[in-house]
Amino acid sequence: MINAVNIYKNFGKNEVIKGASLNIEKAERVVIIGPSGGGKSTLLRCLNLLEEVTSGEVILDGKLISPPDAYLHEDILRLSKTYKRLQKEGKSDEDIISEIRAKRLLKNGEGFAFKRALKETSAKYGQDINVARRKMGMVFQQFNLFNNMTVMQNLVYVPVKLKVLTKEEAKKKAENLLARINLSDKKDAYPSSLSGGQKQRVAIIRSLMMNPEVMLFDEPTSALDPEMVGEVLSLIKDLANEGMTMVIVTHEMGFAREVATRVLFIDGGKIAEDDVPEEIFSRPKNPRLKEFLSKVL
Amino acid sequence: MLFEDIWKILTNGELMGYYFQGFLHTIIVTFIAVGIGLILGFAVAIIKISAGNYKFMKIPAVICNLYTTVFRGTPVALQLFIMVFAVFAIPGFKPAAAIITFGINSGAYVSENIRAGITSVDNGQMEAGRAMGLNWLQTMIRIILPQAVKNIIPAIGNEMIALLKETSIISMVGSTVGTLTFDLNFASRTAYKTVTNYLATGIIAAVFYLAVVYFMVFIIKIIERKLGSNDKRGKHI
Repeated sequence: MINAVNIYKNFGKNEVIKGASLNIEKAERVVIIGPSGGGKSTLLRCLNLLEEVTSGEVILDGKLISPPDAYLHEDILRLSKTYKRLQKEGKSDEDIISEIRAKRLLKNGEGFAFKRALKETSAKYGQDINVARRKMGMVFQQFNLFNNMTVMQNLVYVPVKLKVLTKEEAKKKAENLLARINLSDKKDAYPSSLSGGQKQRVAIIRSLMMNPEVMLFDEPTSALDPEMVGEVLSLIKDLANEGMTMVIVTHEMGFAREVATRVLFIDGGKIAEDDVPEEIFSRPKNPRLKEFLSKVL
Repeated sequence: MLFEDIWKILTNGELMGYYFQGFLHTIIVTFIAVGIGLILGFAVAIIKISAGNYKFMKIPAVICNLYTTVFRGTPVALQLFIMVFAVFAIPGFKPAAAIITFGINSGAYVSENIRAGITSVDNGQMEAGRAMGLNWLQTMIRIILPQAVKNIIPAIGNEMIALLKETSIISMVGSTVGTLTFDLNFASRTAYKTVTNYLATGIIAAVFYLAVVYFMVFIIKIIERKLGSNDKRGKHI
């Protein structure tokens, strides 16, 4: 469903993600764990392009949602000026391609044909990011409910505006979802009058309003008071049991073990281990993972 | 002596006529200039901020930066002279040129007020809107701006008050009774010819200015209170 290929992400000179590839299938529940500053949240945010990737491609349902990455397309690389320069030096096609990739030789100004090929690729395989994002629900650490709208407006505004639902459908759906999280009486309240746990549960059902194919959770319980963590986690577990595809960044190891079908351990901008939860938690192989688990468990 | 002179003006129909005409013109000039300033300031702020998201806005943003730098960096009196006697040196166009100058000058300040108000809204609001599939402009208009207005209104109110008093230099480019450049300040100077007491004529003009400003503050307070209604928490602090 989501396919991230060779993702790199720099903030200025700071390399945060250094070549991560990740394939998420339908109904998978991928939990991302790892030490702080290792790039967990950044990788998650790259999946819906809230962070523009520096290089690499993000593909959703077979459609390219990031700009095309020339390094991943041999036919485009062959159109570059760098390729032609190396060709004149008498090197073989295979050598040139691997050299360009290994040393990341592409610069600005690789010529008109190269640029046009990139444009054609994105026209042919690309999808508008704003359309793609409707299929990916996102839940933030800081909830990010729209502060100028009531709970009900938060739920219905975007699906109605983007014509995913009609006004009546949206209202009915919002009422059902609010009843499900026992917050029907708060529908006309503003976010500032809700508790953290209530805000996060509203944020989760706000994402569900768009009928997403996949939900991305970016540390959904890290900003909550301890007594409110449970209510949010149990809502996420309910969604998991209904077969929702999820990618979750979290520090809650017990929850990760319980809900995940697959756990990624991210360290130093790379996916250091990728396995089922039993293997990760009971028989960790990576020494950094062992060290990490001994600290948090 | 002073009270005698003030009384003399207050009971003199012709002099009070000057004051009321000047009062009216001051309000008209301010009102139009504020309108120009708001429209211009809003556009400039949006252009500057959108340059972070849309590459094709980079060059307009550079032009806007130049505009705010020049108009905030030079005295408004100088701008008034240049605009009236050089840029718009068209016969009969003097009052319009003066009003446009005040509007453009005010727009430079207003744009910075609006920009500051927008950037003070938590970035998570934009991220949440974008993550749900709204584009930048939709999120800006429906999510960010309504929250920014609360931060912007007090600063804009301040700017409007400053502008009202700044318009008192309009008669520097020349004025006669009946034209728009005949403002409150010039009315006071005209009354001096009869009363020959600057303090008396000035105090009456000051009272007029004070009355308008007081009224403006009153209106701004009402708007602020209305906008605060969805954020009641912490109001007692």
